[in-house]
Amino acid sequence: MFPFNLNPTGEFFAFFALAVCAITGAVMALSLAKVVHTALSLAFTFVSLAGLFILLGAEFVAFVQVLIYVGAVTILMIFGIMMTKHRDEERERGRPLLETLAAVFCLCLFGILFFAIRSAGFPVPETALPADNTTEIGTLLFTKYAVPFELVSVLLTAAFIGAVALAKREEEPA
Amino acid sequence: MQRFWDDPVSWEAAGRYALVALALLAVVIVFVTYAIYFERKVIGWMQFRQGPNRTGPLGLLQTVADVAKLLVKEDTIPAKADKALFVLAPALAFIPSFTVLAVIPYGLNLPFADLNVGFLYYVALSGVTTIAIVIAGWASNNKYALLGGMRSAAQMISYEVPLVLSVVGVAMLTESLNLRDIVLRQEGYFWHWNVFPQIIGFAVFVVAAVSELNRTPFDLPEAESELVAGYHVEYSGFRFAFFMLAEYVYIYAIACLTTILFLGGWNAPFPQLDFIPGLVWFAFKFALIVFSLFWIRATLPRLRVDQLMGLAWKALLPLALANILLTALGIEWLG
Repeated sequence: MFPFNLNPTGEFFAFFALAVCAITGAVMALSLAKVVHTALSLAFTFVSLAGLFILLGAEFVAFVQVLIYVGAVTILMIFGIMMTKHRDEERERGRPLLETLAAVFCLCLFGILFFAIRSAGFPVPETALPADNTTEIGTLLFTKYAVPFELVSVLLTAAFIGAVALAKREEEPA
Repeated sequence: MQRFWDDPVSWEAAGRYALVALALLAVVIVFVTYAIYFERKVIGWMQFRQGPNRTGPLGLLQTVADVAKLLVKEDTIPAKADKALFVLAPALAFIPSFTVLAVIPYGLNLPFADLNVGFLYYVALSGVTTIAIVIAGWASNNKYALLGGMRSAAQMISYEVPLVLSVVGVAMLTESLNLRDIVLRQEGYFWHWNVFPQIIGFAVFVVAAVSELNRTPFDLPEAESELVAGYHVEYSGFRFAFFMLAEYVYIYAIACLTTILFLGGWNAPFPQLDFIPGLVWFAFKFALIVFSLFWIRATLPRLRVDQLMGLAWKALLPLALANILLTALGIEWLG
């Protein structure tokens, strides 16, 4: 009847529930007026995406996603929003030309993405995926990808020192 | 993990999972009821008081009466509050506290989610409760509540770092983050438990865990003498009860986690004592940790807010990093 092969396993239901949650969160993040609400719906999307990662068998990525994005990034965002003064109830007047253009570009983007995803091949890896992919990620990080890994660490350290320097400068009286 | 969703969905399977979850909920509720009673008694004795002793025999029904009072109380929402978030926050605080219990292995044969990143799952989900506390503080539209929420966010983010790093040593020894594997590695005599080779990690873990629980001496988010009650100052009735419930469920979870990570889980201290079931050993160690948490609360004064961040970043974090280095050296030299 449908060109899809539907077999109602738990995975099938979980995928649809999570997909709907992720999209709902994303749409709410765009349409809600208050900034705190927006940040919260973004967190909701992050959690749903983590659920999708679990369905794909990438538990490590999933929980790191929750730990970093939901745990740290969202809280920092909410923190920043609360600390700064802002008038979030104000609504901008609609700009019809801009909105039409945006809609056209959005449709184009959707078309391109849809076409690309439909025409992309998903090759099955020759060897079976390791059952314990956390160990595998760790091994690869410290053997094959050791140099990029160290470079990213240096980058993070630089950003960290930069943040400290910026904070220090504000402390001094002008 | 895959086996959980490969089976076709049936009402029977769904009902089984629901039943297991409800049973666990019942266990947790009973634990919370008597943990509160036990806490009040222990603190009472430490302060030369009696503790609750009027409601029911020995005061055993005191918590039941308290909860009943909270449930029949008028449910107030401040007029200027953000109503949707105000209502959402208590549920958002409780849900992760209960879901983290899914990965706790109580014994080798008891059903639980055998996740290969069990510890990470715990830490990741407990971070969601922080969002709930911040949201509760913000949605109340109250200065004290907002301050409590802010403190909570800063504290939770800072102490999460040493908490995770302190367990890295355990993960290195086990070569796994799976909680079951971590317990299995600690079989044998009690000096095989992680608490001895990982004594620095254990110390950092306990301090960071008490802080994550928002309990004295780290209860700054709800410091009653400075912030009235912190983030839940505007909450009453069953919403307030939900915050309390989440807090005590986290005590349950962290006591389980400490038992598993550092005290050998269901293993007996001597293999000769293996005839006593593992669940009894688990319960015994668990009770010991819960008691220690109450003991700490009765003993230590609250940290000052300006000392709080210093402790996390200048003391706990270097210690946790040193512990990782020492563990690596130990594995390299001693094998």
